[in-house]
Amino acid sequence: MRRRVELGLVVLAALITIAAYVLVSMGSDASVPANIGPFFAAVLALLIAAHIATRRLAPNADPLLLPLAVLLNGLGYVFIVRVANDVRGAKDLPGLQATWTLLGVGAYIATLMVLRRVRVLDRYRYIFMAIGVALLLLPLTPKLGVEVSGARIWIRAAGLSFQPGEVAKIALAIFFASYLVEHREVLRIGSFKFGPLHLPEPKHLGPVGLAWGVSLIVLVMERDLGSSLLFFAVFVTMVWIATERSAYLLIGLLLFSGGAYASYQKFDHVQTRVVAWTDPWQDPKNKGFQIIEGQFAMAEGGLTGTGLGLGKPYRVPKVETDFIFAAIGEELGLAGSTAILIAFLLIVASGLRIAVRARHPFEKLLAAGLTAMIGFQAFIIIGGVTRVVPLTGITLPFVSYGGSSLLSNYVLLALLVRISDESAGAPTRSRPRRQRRVRESEPVVIGEVAG
Amino acid sequence: MNRQIRRLGIAIIMLYTILFVQLNRIQVFGAKRLNEDVNNTRDILRDFGKPRGAIITADGILLAQSVPLDDSKRTYQRQYPQSWKFAHITGHFSSVLGSSGVEQEYNDQLSGQTLEQRYKSLADLFIDRDTTANVTLSVNSKVQQAAIDGLGDRRGSVVALDPRTGEILALYSNPAYDPNLLADMSTQNATAVSTQLNADPQKPLLARSYREIFFPGSTFKVVTAAAGLDAGVVTPDSPVYAAAQSYTPPNVLDQFAISNFERETCGGALFAVLRDSCNSAFARMGTEDIGPDRMISTAQAFGFNSKVPIDLPGAATSNFPSSFGKRLQTLRSYYASRGINIPESADPVYVTESSGPLAQSSIGQNDVKATPLQMAMVAAAVANDGVMMKPHVMKEIRDLDGNLVSRYEPAAWRRAMTSQTASTLRDAMRGVVDAGTATAMFVDGLETGGKTGTAQLGTAALNSHAWIIGFSGLPGQPPSIAVAVIVEAQPGASEQTGGRVAAPIARSVIEAALR
Repeated sequence: MRRRVELGLVVLAALITIAAYVLVSMGSDASVPANIGPFFAAVLALLIAAHIATRRLAPNADPLLLPLAVLLNGLGYVFIVRVANDVRGAKDLPGLQATWTLLGVGAYIATLMVLRRVRVLDRYRYIFMAIGVALLLLPLTPKLGVEVSGARIWIRAAGLSFQPGEVAKIALAIFFASYLVEHREVLRIGSFKFGPLHLPEPKHLGPVGLAWGVSLIVLVMERDLGSSLLFFAVFVTMVWIATERSAYLLIGLLLFSGGAYASYQKFDHVQTRVVAWTDPWQDPKNKGFQIIEGQFAMAEGGLTGTGLGLGKPYRVPKVETDFIFAAIGEELGLAGSTAILIAFLLIVASGLRIAVRARHPFEKLLAAGLTAMIGFQAFIIIGGVTRVVPLTGITLPFVSYGGSSLLSNYVLLALLVRISDESAGAPTRSRPRRQRRVRESEPVVIGEVAG
Repeated sequence: MNRQIRRLGIAIIMLYTILFVQLNRIQVFGAKRLNEDVNNTRDILRDFGKPRGAIITADGILLAQSVPLDDSKRTYQRQYPQSWKFAHITGHFSSVLGSSGVEQEYNDQLSGQTLEQRYKSLADLFIDRDTTANVTLSVNSKVQQAAIDGLGDRRGSVVALDPRTGEILALYSNPAYDPNLLADMSTQNATAVSTQLNADPQKPLLARSYREIFFPGSTFKVVTAAAGLDAGVVTPDSPVYAAAQSYTPPNVLDQFAISNFERETCGGALFAVLRDSCNSAFARMGTEDIGPDRMISTAQAFGFNSKVPIDLPGAATSNFPSSFGKRLQTLRSYYASRGINIPESADPVYVTESSGPLAQSSIGQNDVKATPLQMAMVAAAVANDGVMMKPHVMKEIRDLDGNLVSRYEPAAWRRAMTSQTASTLRDAMRGVVDAGTATAMFVDGLETGGKTGTAQLGTAALNSHAWIIGFSGLPGQPPSIAVAVIVEAQPGASEQTGGRVAAPIARSVIEAALR
């Protein structure tokens, strides 16, 4: 049953993508795209392949995650096609994004195939830590690392460029989930008094220190504010969930405020971001230009948007990556931008429900951490575009152009699907009371699918 | 752990709620403010470089068109084949200066943005058709050319319109500008041109014909005469104004008396004083026969102090004083106190504080200022039995298939005077052409009426604006053209100036239209 629901939703996502693809083409040059037949076949084949893989490899998994991801991926692709003609140097992006989507779905299937039990990962925690830190530091290697618009987060080799940080975030999430679950009891005990706070022994604060250190490295050496903020928020959240101690949120907040204040004092590019956030109209043609143009784009969209292919999203710098949400807001209006918000909320809801249902603490924490990662990342970039928080360059998961981002998010999706499948596969009938309580307290009410 | 996970869920829902609220602030509640922000060039640039309909004269001369710059038809260049000749009608369409004139007024139709153009059938919801439309003007290129040739290098304006419909036939003012230069695709070039035009003391961007006001001088005597005729205090036979060199209004010192040009002596009944443009007689008529209230109400009936409903942006409003001060006493008691007895009247005229300004206003000086368009409409109201039509330059708009998008239906703006008054004034103004100051306007085979004006400027050298207003038509038929011509700042100040300088221009315009 769950898989039939998934199939229906995947086909629906495919149809929406194809319809939007046709509309974009008609909106910009009044013609049905020439390759509509092959496109239709390719999209449908790819998505059904992903569905069949799930059906075979994770038959009891949550039926919403895959359809939501492919819907976001499909809409994002359509908008990349939309702006490719009008943005300088973006001609090749649709082809590349299509290739990355193919690789992403491939990675999703491969992850499900290779990883039959998530708990296996628990064994290799230090390997994941090493991989994660190494990947994060990779762009700092001379020759290999490249600086793109101020941020040194890319590596370029053999004509391909890659953002290793995107993969690092998953490796580090696995490491943290594993480490924290093992040390949660120690971290929970407050034997060390610091003012009103009861803290664990300073030596046990290692992981928080590491989180802070990693995000500082990213912040200072790679100038990647968005990833830095994301790492920090996700890791503090994971510590909090593992230890069930709110004090860690407070400590995290204090450390964050300190770091933020210090970097504001020390770095010009941080100050620029803050000024562009608080008052972009101070310098509308330079520092505030991107933010203001993004606002104009979304305002032009109004309630229902200008229509696909009928707006001018290309006026906003970086509309194909960081600002793709502004393009959606312009051409699909508040209706479209809200739909994207709801899609992410549904992913978060499914992810957290999987976390609540997971039986092993490691799986629980990993699911919660990965879900928080997607939820926070979408919030950080949408909030940046809409001026809720300072803008930090980061991709909108599944939607923005970006191969590394797409690939790692599909792997992340596969991990969630795998955890979901495992916890639903062998229902805990021996403890019905507990299960009922879990059901009552699902974080978001969405159509409950009777399995 | 589950409790924390649920709290995380609630926290994320709250974060996304903030995003939703902010999206509403940007896309719905703040959309208008953002769309109108000065930094938002989306609206100005929305249509720039896009296909756009043509502007054509009534006789089929192309005034503006957009041609694709490359084969892909992604960018279009706006072109004005007639250069500066029609610039003050078509206006310009510029990424730097925005748009003006017809380009601004009918932007939605030219760019195909109106609802009826965009959605003619259900299919239009799905395909992107070229919905632009062509605007045909009522302006006639031959009449416009006559105006251009007539003015030559001199600064001034010519307005010609059809009194029966309000259709503008010619609207020209010199100096003008070349809108092609402002439509340059290079923002840099267009900015340079715009800076230069804005700095030019001659103000070539200003359409003086309908956006600038001038002293109308003696042409305003037509309005004064209409006020007297409408009130019944003036007829073709009475009063007969005694021959005089000047007129001194009540309570005004003799040194401020209003004198005739070159201190000539003139007088007589209405037709005679209009023919000779007798200042002393009209100043007395306005001050003592008509009085301040009726002068104000008639001037306003002629459209002074009201926004002219022309289909061009930024028309200037012509001015007539709205008050001449407090009433002091009736004219009868004023004269009685000086030992003069005048007959009692049912509707007494009052002497007010500003009888000097009233006397000057009655001959089109003081604070009276009018656009050339306004004065053409004064002549047109006389020609059209007292009814002033809404002036307009658009004749019709058709889409690319030739289907009518809209047509300007002639409409009355206001009644300026009674039909009887208009008929009397037509005769009086024909007298001015036959044997008065406007004989240079005479055209063989047509019935033409006119009124000259010479509005003195308070400048050191004796300078004046030379005016003429008038109408013409085939004998026995309602006049089919009304004209106003102003040639600014001409040397000298005799009543002959208007007739000598402006009347020949009006004549050639009439000939171009009716011959």
